[in-house]
Amino acid sequence: MALDQLKLEVLWNRLIATVNEQAAALMRTSFTSIVREAGDLSAGVFDRRGRMIAQAVTGTPGHINSMATSMGHVLRRYPVDSLAEGDVIITNDPWMTAGQLNDITIFTPVFRAGRCVAFFANCCHALDIGGRGLSADSLEVFEEGLQIPILKLYEAGRPNETLYALLKANVRATDEVMGDLHSQVVGNEVGARQLLSFMDEFGLDDIEDVADSIVARSESAMRERIAALPDGTYPFTMACDGFDEPITLAAKVIIRGDALTVDYGGTSGAIDRGINVTLNYTAAYTTYGIKCAISPDIPNNEGSFRPVTVTAPEGSILNCRHPSPVGGRHLVGHFLPSVVFGALEDILPQRVMAASADALWDTQVYGDRDDGSRFAYVWFAAGGAGAIRGRDGLSATAFPAGIAGVQSEMIEALVPIVVGERELVTDSGGPGRWRGGLGQKFTIGVRGDRPFLFSGLYDRMDHPAHGINGGAAGAVGHLATKSGKDVRAKTRVVLPPGEEVTLTLPGGGGYGPATERPVETVAADVLDGYVSAERARTFYGVALDPSGLSVDEVETARLRNAMTSTKD
Amino acid sequence: MTHRIGADIGGTFTDLVMVDDGGAGFFVEKVLTTPTAPDAAVVKGVDALLTRNEVAAESVAHLVHGTTLFTNALIERKGAKTALVTTRGFRDAVEIAREHRFDMYDLWMERPTPIAPRHLRFEVKERILADGTVHEPLDETSVEALVPILREMGVEAVAVCLIHAYRNDHHERRVGEILRAGLPGIALSLSCEVNPEIREYDRASTTLCNVYVKGIAEAYLGRLENGLQKRELTGALYVMQSQGGVCDVATASDYPVRLIESGPAAGALAAAAYGNLIGAKDLLSFDMGGTTAKACLILDGEPLIAPEFEADRKYRFKKGSGLPVKVPVIEMIEIGAGGGSLVRLDAMGRLQVGPESAGAEPGPASYGRGGEKPTVTDADLVLGYLDPNFFLGGTMTLDREAARAAIGRTVATPLKLDVVEAAHGIHRLVNENMASAARIHAVERGADSSRLPLFAFGGAGPVHAYGVARILGAPQIVFPLGAGVMSAAGLLSAPLSFDFVRTMPAGLESMDWDAVNGALEKMEDDGRRVLARSIDPSEIRFRRSADARYRRQGHELRVAVPDGPLGPEHAGAIQRAFEEIYRSIYGQTPQDVALDVISWRVMASGPEPRLALPSGKPQQGDVAAAIKGQREVFLPEAETLAAVPVYDRYKLGTGAQFDGPAIVEERESTVVIAGPASARVDAHANLLVEF
Repeated sequence: MALDQLKLEVLWNRLIATVNEQAAALMRTSFTSIVREAGDLSAGVFDRRGRMIAQAVTGTPGHINSMATSMGHVLRRYPVDSLAEGDVIITNDPWMTAGQLNDITIFTPVFRAGRCVAFFANCCHALDIGGRGLSADSLEVFEEGLQIPILKLYEAGRPNETLYALLKANVRATDEVMGDLHSQVVGNEVGARQLLSFMDEFGLDDIEDVADSIVARSESAMRERIAALPDGTYPFTMACDGFDEPITLAAKVIIRGDALTVDYGGTSGAIDRGINVTLNYTAAYTTYGIKCAISPDIPNNEGSFRPVTVTAPEGSILNCRHPSPVGGRHLVGHFLPSVVFGALEDILPQRVMAASADALWDTQVYGDRDDGSRFAYVWFAAGGAGAIRGRDGLSATAFPAGIAGVQSEMIEALVPIVVGERELVTDSGGPGRWRGGLGQKFTIGVRGDRPFLFSGLYDRMDHPAHGINGGAAGAVGHLATKSGKDVRAKTRVVLPPGEEVTLTLPGGGGYGPATERPVETVAADVLDGYVSAERARTFYGVALDPSGLSVDEVETARLRNAMTSTKD
Repeated sequence: MTHRIGADIGGTFTDLVMVDDGGAGFFVEKVLTTPTAPDAAVVKGVDALLTRNEVAAESVAHLVHGTTLFTNALIERKGAKTALVTTRGFRDAVEIAREHRFDMYDLWMERPTPIAPRHLRFEVKERILADGTVHEPLDETSVEALVPILREMGVEAVAVCLIHAYRNDHHERRVGEILRAGLPGIALSLSCEVNPEIREYDRASTTLCNVYVKGIAEAYLGRLENGLQKRELTGALYVMQSQGGVCDVATASDYPVRLIESGPAAGALAAAAYGNLIGAKDLLSFDMGGTTAKACLILDGEPLIAPEFEADRKYRFKKGSGLPVKVPVIEMIEIGAGGGSLVRLDAMGRLQVGPESAGAEPGPASYGRGGEKPTVTDADLVLGYLDPNFFLGGTMTLDREAARAAIGRTVATPLKLDVVEAAHGIHRLVNENMASAARIHAVERGADSSRLPLFAFGGAGPVHAYGVARILGAPQIVFPLGAGVMSAAGLLSAPLSFDFVRTMPAGLESMDWDAVNGALEKMEDDGRRVLARSIDPSEIRFRRSADARYRRQGHELRVAVPDGPLGPEHAGAIQRAFEEIYRSIYGQTPQDVALDVISWRVMASGPEPRLALPSGKPQQGDVAAAIKGQREVFLPEAETLAAVPVYDRYKLGTGAQFDGPAIVEERESTVVIAGPASARVDAHANLLVEF
């Protein structure tokens, strides 16, 4: 027994190394920038019963347990004993996997001595999946692209030519999409090879015992964390801009002993725009928020997911029914960790973060080059993140998405866009003992004398990121043009040559009362232009002398005194 | 007879190695590092080397120097008060950085603070576009206006990084002229000189890091040069760069950012040089010290070079947590597991090792200085791999009972194991972590780690190499004599060299070859200028390469480029060379995807010095005479403690042969052969262990 314990650790480490190798192979060969640079993928290994036992550490909360549940759907369609060596299975069903058609999951059974012993799976964001292209404009999922039910991409080592032909005929960037699909298949093979070689090394016929131990130990660690929280029901409601009217995200975190449920009863209904979220994706971002708050060190696997249940009323925007459109589901799903943190604020004030800008700002520009050829460019930018006890919010940093932005010189080298300025927005971080992260300002135009099409999927233009524990909200975002023409987010507009659009991204919420922020820290913020002298006075109660360089101690004491006493 | 000296400044010791060109002499000296004036220890060590071995100062042809001084200045933020001057609208690029979190789950994640704080980041009116055309001319008054402000704020160093200056450097150079004229004596670096590559955040970060330590570099290297001259050492002083070449003092003072990773680079070079000597062109170097373990893949006799690295990582082993520095470096993987790494159990009761370290104070539990937490060294001691009375050659005694107690408390009791089992769990975990990291490193490079011999050095490398080799399936381990001075020896195998890069993104099918030839020739001229200060121009060699990638793919691969003027007729050769490398890494190439070249590179280098190793003394008489005793060590395959012979490394001569399990002790390290293997000593006193 004693050595078994240490052996288990070695095996567990090897399994994690295996999925990391699988992910590394995938990222390095991908043709899609958001896969390889932003790590918008997931990779994992499952036992023959379909339990996920290890997942690579990659940058996408949206895949955290959506991949784990997807395996069950696959095994219902193809029972394990019906599979043959060389089979590869594919699907992009948003209700079974990662919530939008662009996310394609590939499953590969691994055989040893003729018996299926494990599965490797990975999920990657495809550059294109046909339909309208990634947008929130569709009325139904049918418009959003090709739906791939659970099918075999390879049958006993032979590619399914019919399916390949169908895929090729339905996507725009054929080379990149088919190239990525190839990378996904290869990634699983790399993982499978490593798994088999270490099963040889340790003389294992299967990994069921290892899986049992991993699942059991992770589950009990997770239950211990939950049991340490006080039983009760903790509600929280947050609104975001939505399309035509605001969306209410209502949550109740229910803790009973060593089990935790998040119930989204009271949340707005699904709408006829592509920002609806499937329950899988809702569960992914909810689990992510919980993990950040209570169990960042417990690995993702079947065991760590078991004690957490996520429910939402069917037909709500967090559990939409087929064929609701889902292409822009991140525009709603990304708010969920902040909702979870809000609900946990009362019982875990030390461990949760104020709200962040949350949803990434997704900008799309289409136009013509001087030589008449067309160009399209899509990129994401991040506003400010929330503050947490002990640390200011990170400025211009994505949360909860793990995506990386793109540098201005790269944008300009690829397409005729000119970035006029890109800087942090003074006063956009929510005031607090710890200040929220600043948003950024981004001005873009297009070279040449032709009109261009602009579309921005932006949120928090009406509903700011709230602060917690007495911290104030961050600034809302806005959109402006050089000509003064009114451009709205979430619509497509054609703009004339020479027009420039300025995006001002929202800031993150603050933590704790601003009047408790040390005076010298506020003064340093003013020196660096993160906070204006005026806001230092009105929000933080810090008065600077006219030069702006030194603190007026007497006036500051008076201001802070007045601010704290009026609050009482 | 001429001599060459390598001097490597480490945290505790400054190591020096002197060789003579005949290959007969290999002299080692160790002096205590003098942290406040590191040059003093070098001068002192040189003195000792010369006196002790009766070598005249004028016979020293050159001294090669490696130092982590600039790395430390950066990490400790002890550089100059530094400002950034950039294009209007872009002063926050260095703070906006990549907009991402490198740790998904850590809500307290922090990014490194930019070298220039926001109030020291200034903008000038100008704009150049991606194709190099001027969108807005430089408003010189906006530059002149900065002069009094910079002076008044007491700024000591300025980095200038304008948008698209890698493509058109006119504005940037003009800004440099104005600032230099207005602020004489200030340290100044231009991005077009330090790192003319696309991506404003990376370029600005590199330029800032460079100018931040420039003053320190100039002062320090000047002092060292002076000190050596006073000793009548008139030979050239060369400084090790991170990519494995050396440069002269003037170049090092202009581009100190290129020296930042030079310490570990020297160790990898030593591995390559030893590998060449013994006919192992491909190998994996494994260097394990007190806080970290590093591995470097050496293929075809050369360490792999990466185009960038990260300085000042907030989380030492976390990619993305540091400041990007775009200079060529020898590529290494590093894990936070060294002798002093702390052991603990995580929430699931799993063993974890590092990256937190016990450091020198209090140190491992067995040091008896108050450390209560177990470390890797404690586990190695409990397993019998280390001799409590012969640690660091007997200069320090270890407390085995304290090690047992710490492992018992923290690991064995909670996991219901006996102490030796627990210690082996720790030892093995370190080996597993290293092997996994090395395997991923090899997979990413298309190499098969199970075919590569391991070259083990550093204080703890020889203790763990056997276990790592068994996990990787490595056929052989090479244990050089003097594992503790490998970096100093590696310095002596580095050629004089300097790298140049020029970003000109374009499709291979529509390349402007005249522009490419112009850029390549300019880089070669620059190389000639830099190197001709030290060597005859006829000895200078150029190696061209291009960073190419499939259109829309993200990772560039480096391909060799032919010499001489290039034209459309060379496109095919470049494409084929790229495909060959791509296939070797990824198995196969996609069809019909066009190739883009992002940057062109030239490396100018001088002749490769030969690191001659003296021949070892032949084995005299029976190998058994080298056995100084027996001790109980844990044999993992047998899962038991057993008595094995302990050999005195210094009594093993060339040709000596024996079988494992065995222990071989030398002053700075212990070779552990924890199971069946055959060992022999080669002509250069290396111990070769084969399975």
